[in-house]
Amino acid sequence: MANSASGMAVNDECKLKFQELKSKRNYRYITFKIEDQAVVLDKLGGPDDSYDKFTSSLPADECRYAVYDFDFTTDEKCQKSKIIFVAWAPETSKVRHKMVYASSKDRFKRELDGIQVELQATDASEMSLDIVKARAA
Amino acid sequence: MLFDSDEVSAIVVDLGSHTCKAGYAGEDAPKAVFPSVVGSIDGMEIDDADNANMNSGSTPDSKSKGKSKFYVGSQDLGYRRDHMEVLSPMKDGVVVDWDMVENIWDHALRKCLLIDPKEHPMLFAESCSNSQQQREKTAEIMFEKYQVPALFLAKNAVLTSFASGRATSLVVDCGGGSTTVAPVQDGYVLQKAVSTSPIGGDFLSDCLLKSLESKGLPIKPRYAFKRKEVRPGEFQIVDLDLPNTTESYKLYSQRVIVSDIKECVCRAPDTPYDDTSYSNIPMTPYELPDGQTIEIGADRFKIPDILFNPSLALTIPGMENSIETTSSAHGLPQMVIESISKCDVDIRRELYSSILLSGGTASMQQLKERLEKDLLEESPQAARVKVLASGNATERRFSVWIGGSILASLGSFQQMWFSKSEFEEHGASYIQRKCP
Repeated sequence: MANSASGMAVNDECKLKFQELKSKRNYRYITFKIEDQAVVLDKLGGPDDSYDKFTSSLPADECRYAVYDFDFTTDEKCQKSKIIFVAWAPETSKVRHKMVYASSKDRFKRELDGIQVELQATDASEMSLDIVKARAA
Repeated sequence: MLFDSDEVSAIVVDLGSHTCKAGYAGEDAPKAVFPSVVGSIDGMEIDDADNANMNSGSTPDSKSKGKSKFYVGSQDLGYRRDHMEVLSPMKDGVVVDWDMVENIWDHALRKCLLIDPKEHPMLFAESCSNSQQQREKTAEIMFEKYQVPALFLAKNAVLTSFASGRATSLVVDCGGGSTTVAPVQDGYVLQKAVSTSPIGGDFLSDCLLKSLESKGLPIKPRYAFKRKEVRPGEFQIVDLDLPNTTESYKLYSQRVIVSDIKECVCRAPDTPYDDTSYSNIPMTPYELPDGQTIEIGADRFKIPDILFNPSLALTIPGMENSIETTSSAHGLPQMVIESISKCDVDIRRELYSSILLSGGTASMQQLKERLEKDLLEESPQAARVKVLASGNATERRFSVWIGGSILASLGSFQQMWFSKSEFEEHGASYIQRKCP
């Protein structure tokens, strides 16, 4: 366990929906928030939602966690997909929320089995499609 | 209501090399902020004096047992006493004198916060370089002597990182006694890549003091003169002769003044400092406590540049003896690059884009901009360099304490404490498991 972890619980619904995203692919993305001392589901994206729709679903001044099922084509013209985890902490969010989300992240991410790429972002430019592509490749 | 707990409020203490910060968990800023040094009068000298006065026989035994008397807090230290030395309980961010540290804790808990330690869980911020032995010693003193119900030791770099919303970052802590660069990954400090230097705010203050002295501008400590109002609005300065004042007390008193000058006028230069380009810059006035106004020119830029180029200190008359300190020390950008290059290739990119500036000296004007600029020039080309510091001065200065304050107030954190019963069952070494 990391030093100074918050001890925040993870709601079972988070793991269930993540499993569905992974195996049934019925969601393009899922966002999570912390409420009443636990990580809970926030929003679910439809299977055909765009990357822009995903980024705009993250609030401008509040922290979130998110996973995104990213489809891409490699340089060798090979179709691939990877699951991206985003720790979203805008500069303008409250210091209390930044602290709570950052100190709960490690534990939460461990509950989601199958994440291949992880990003921390404080604004949209830090999780642009180009950056995500570069990290996934 | 997201995260509040109804437990009795915990106490958060961040004992830095320059300042001790203490307060209640859940609050926005520490209630007590005072210098982390103690004024000490050697017990033996007092005994001798007493014995001589009373003309009574003394046994060698009582002499050797003579304990030092300690004075803690800005107010007590502000009062000059004959033979009082000013001592720091820490060296390189690590405690070397526990007696003094206990006096500082007592002052913070009992005198400033007015609490009974038996009733409050304690969260302590600790330096990355704290050894296992130090951690166990802290646990022993806290549980056995102070009888606290629960304890937690949080790494200061981790608290700063979390408080900025990042589980992974490179924390550049510019403190009073030292500067520490520590990579944090998912809440773990990567110990092998931590780099430290003894160049901190205190060293800069000493350089400024010597430089001013060399220009014929000695800093008169506040205790060394009286200001008399001879006519309304007109003051006369009377120098006091106090031969029993220690050198360390004089230096402490001068540093108080010089660090204020530094905070008021200094500013990191945009490019490396050199004498010729700064010889004609406008002077900035500063009024000393004795009413004298001094003018500060190139030093405004030269002093902060020592953070980037420690050997610059050697050009200041009176600082030649700092060669031991400066020869092994690297400038800030080099420390950052060195530290990152000791980390795994996979996270280097992430660290370059999350460099967090914290600590008292981090408030230096233009420090963030200059560090970012130097790193852009010297870092590997693919790196996307981003240096961050909270725009809020309180958050920047107290990021460690604030992180601890939030953490200790979380309802979910209550299960994480190292409790008194766990200490009694498993012993002090259990701290290594509870607070890894």
